[in-house]
Amino acid sequence: MAQQLLIVVLVAAAYTAFGALSSLVAYAPTDAWTVWLASGVVLGLLLSLRRARWAAVLGGGFVGATAFAFNLGSAALEAVGYGAIEVLASGAAALLVSRLAALPLRFHAVRDLGALILAGAVPLALVGAVLAAAWQLAAGGTGFGTTLRVWFISNFIGTLLVAPVIISWAQFRVRRSGGMTMPAFTSGAVACALFLGTLWLLFSGSVAQRFGGSVGAALTYLPIVFMSLVAVLWGARGATLAGFVGALIAMVCTAQGNGPFAGVEGFLGEAQLEVEAYALAIALLGLLIAVLGAAQRQAAHVAREWQTRFEAAIGAHRLLAYEWDPASDRMLVTGDTLQLLGVAPERIAMLADWLALVAAVERDGVAARFDERVRGRGEADTLRYALRGSAGATQAATDEARAIRDHDGALHRIVGIVRVTAGPVESSA
Amino acid sequence: MTESTTTERPAAVEVPAQDAATDTPDGVFLIHGLGGTQYDLGSMHKRLKNAGFVTHSLTLPGHGTRPEDLAGVTAEDWIGAVVAKYHEVRALHPRLHLMGMCMGSLLAAVLAQRERHTQGQLVLLAPPVYIDGWATPWYRGLRSLLYAIPGVGRTMKVEEEDPFGIKNEQLRAIVKAKFERGENFHYRWVPLECIRQVDRLRAILMQGAKEIRCRTLVVHAREDELTSLKSANFLVEAIGGGRARMVVLEDSYHMICVDNDREIVARSVLEFFGAAMPGATTALANEPKMSPEALAAAVTATIAKLGAGDLAGLRELAIPDLAWVQPGINRMSGAHSGKSFAAFAGKLVQGGAPRFTAFGTPVFNRGIALVPATLVAQRDGARLESQGALLLAFHGGKLLEVRWFADELEIEDAYFGAAPPEAPGTISLDAAFDAAVLASKTLRRAPDNDTLLALYSLYKQASVGDVAGERPGALDMVNRAKFDAWSQRKGMDRESAMQAYVDRVYQLVSSEAR
Repeated sequence: MAQQLLIVVLVAAAYTAFGALSSLVAYAPTDAWTVWLASGVVLGLLLSLRRARWAAVLGGGFVGATAFAFNLGSAALEAVGYGAIEVLASGAAALLVSRLAALPLRFHAVRDLGALILAGAVPLALVGAVLAAAWQLAAGGTGFGTTLRVWFISNFIGTLLVAPVIISWAQFRVRRSGGMTMPAFTSGAVACALFLGTLWLLFSGSVAQRFGGSVGAALTYLPIVFMSLVAVLWGARGATLAGFVGALIAMVCTAQGNGPFAGVEGFLGEAQLEVEAYALAIALLGLLIAVLGAAQRQAAHVAREWQTRFEAAIGAHRLLAYEWDPASDRMLVTGDTLQLLGVAPERIAMLADWLALVAAVERDGVAARFDERVRGRGEADTLRYALRGSAGATQAATDEARAIRDHDGALHRIVGIVRVTAGPVESSA
Repeated sequence: MTESTTTERPAAVEVPAQDAATDTPDGVFLIHGLGGTQYDLGSMHKRLKNAGFVTHSLTLPGHGTRPEDLAGVTAEDWIGAVVAKYHEVRALHPRLHLMGMCMGSLLAAVLAQRERHTQGQLVLLAPPVYIDGWATPWYRGLRSLLYAIPGVGRTMKVEEEDPFGIKNEQLRAIVKAKFERGENFHYRWVPLECIRQVDRLRAILMQGAKEIRCRTLVVHAREDELTSLKSANFLVEAIGGGRARMVVLEDSYHMICVDNDREIVARSVLEFFGAAMPGATTALANEPKMSPEALAAAVTATIAKLGAGDLAGLRELAIPDLAWVQPGINRMSGAHSGKSFAAFAGKLVQGGAPRFTAFGTPVFNRGIALVPATLVAQRDGARLESQGALLLAFHGGKLLEVRWFADELEIEDAYFGAAPPEAPGTISLDAAFDAAVLASKTLRRAPDNDTLLALYSLYKQASVGDVAGERPGALDMVNRAKFDAWSQRKGMDRESAMQAYVDRVYQLVSSEAR
């Protein structure tokens, strides 16, 4: 119970802090909150923690939203209403995401990213916008459409900037070794410094004065390159964090009337929206690259595990598997050839390399049987002959092969399994 | 907080005479790493025991139970535990070697320094003097900041992750599976506070390494993912090149006692300790550590056993890994060591209770004695008298290896006969068939044509099945005869054909042996 209460307090504090951060980029003349980062905190935590923690997280969101609204001058009932909207919108979005992806969410596949955007950020923003607009209408306010639009955009962008940071960092564990190497970290740090540095250079002042003409606008593509590098080198954690910090730099600077977007648009509110779309696009691009990289690493990991299991099985039985393409004479041998034959597998690239390992007196006979196999119809052909061992000793090999043919009966490959046994040799070649 | 200590005698040997003067075996004190158990040291215990050492070990405070028990344990607790164990066992041996793995090597080095250890040698396996390996996390430098935050050291977990210090993917999969099964061979994580204690231990060693006075071997992998070669270089430089030497491994990560280079590690350590290892060349290379009188007495005792045909009794005089090398191409041929020596001795008795006789005068060269002798045996009316010489290799009072050099191998091959396929029932029919196929090629006399055709037909029926295709023409007499023989087996099932083939080959092998 104490732990649940602690979570409520921490989430409420984080919600309030991110709400305050959002006010930095709010457009003062119209009092419009162009980005609402706090919703991302609640959704990000819901998608990262066990279901048993959801009540505490939603409770923290409710307390944070209510307190924030009350602090801004809302009446008590109105503030409670905003708190309830936060709970309903975030809870509904988290439930939807859980239907599409396994929780806690991990950015190991594009599906996870898609679930976050389509089942998380969009419903959260939509449900919140509808409820907020309805609530305002019920309270006698006007501007249903404006509230709907502003609420949707600010929540959608804010959620997608903050939630990925929380989701990716929630999986962080201190490890003794493994993970990112120091060279990758250092290279990523350089890329990150360049990303944030160029953003700062572009957005911290007037680009017209700093670069002249339309050069400033063209340079807005440069951070995208560096963000891509950060994503490749640092993965999802680095990409989301850099994306979030970069977005803050761009948005805060634009809110202060600086940067390429403020320079182009006469009305600063438009520039705010444009820079948010720009920052979001960069952040999502970085996350997408990181997710694709993670998916590739995951696939490689699964393949490596499969290979390890396969090699353990055939190694324990002193087996080798081969694939011979009679058209090119190329041969591919799988298994511990170094241990069994004293030759690295890449040294057996052609049938001739394999035959060179066969005892000299049997070589011609074995070669002839390989030729016969080409004419086979797919039945198993067993051949016993002597192979050179790793220590130069002769050992017995039982070679069972089959021809693989296509639907037209054309030969595709000869595939075989060779069992190598130490001891005297019998030949059937 | 737990701490337990263990002492193990050499395998199957009561008191191996490692020291000629006192006849008391040397001891080795082994210390495991952080979060680990004796599993960290791989087969080193067994290898050392087989080489005649008495091994001592302990479970360090906070280990062997739950990771949470490590909280509150300090570097001084670990040092205190190893010092106490050292005082407990050092008087038991004329020489006591110290050996540690990972953090255990830091402790071994600190122990050697504090106790001014010169009673034996020091082996440091993958000592992490610097935490700077290629896979150490990027945030490793931040840990000093975290130590300063109250509560973080106890609550933050530092987890063991892929690659688990192991380069060999098969072994890594085994270790991963052990972790998943929850086996208590290594903690899955340790509190950050423990890393702080290791840092303190590293600082203590870096200050005092120059005071280490014993001969030291540092074994370190170039690709150690936790600590780079800089650690090994530091220690060798600090202790001094005259006393310290280094072995660099090229195919392992941090857990060098279980990874690809474990055999190199074991041999390096045993050689460094001047241990007895099977293999005449090794025995020649090493000091026998026996007086000439002791060597002569050992040869006399060995000859007595060989003269009585008591091969099994030889083990009383030998190290557990005693090796016997029997020449020729017969059922007794090959190198038989360890467990397979017992099987060989039993098989030899069945081969007509052979014994050695007519011993000549031994010729000595360091730990080697060359003794002319005659091998005699009698079975089923057949008699063996094979002249030759026995090479007996000794070390530390123990017989390491026997090699028999027969003057005329053919005599023994004929007497013992070729290795027959194992009796059906003890192995699968497939394996018996394979063995029979191999044995058929070792026949000295070519069977007559009828037998060859019978073997051919049974072989084809067993391996291919019923004959198919057209009967060869009358001019192709050989293949026609083969085809006809095979045709006669038509309908015979595979197992029957295999069994008949095995029986037929075994008859031929047996008749040759007689």
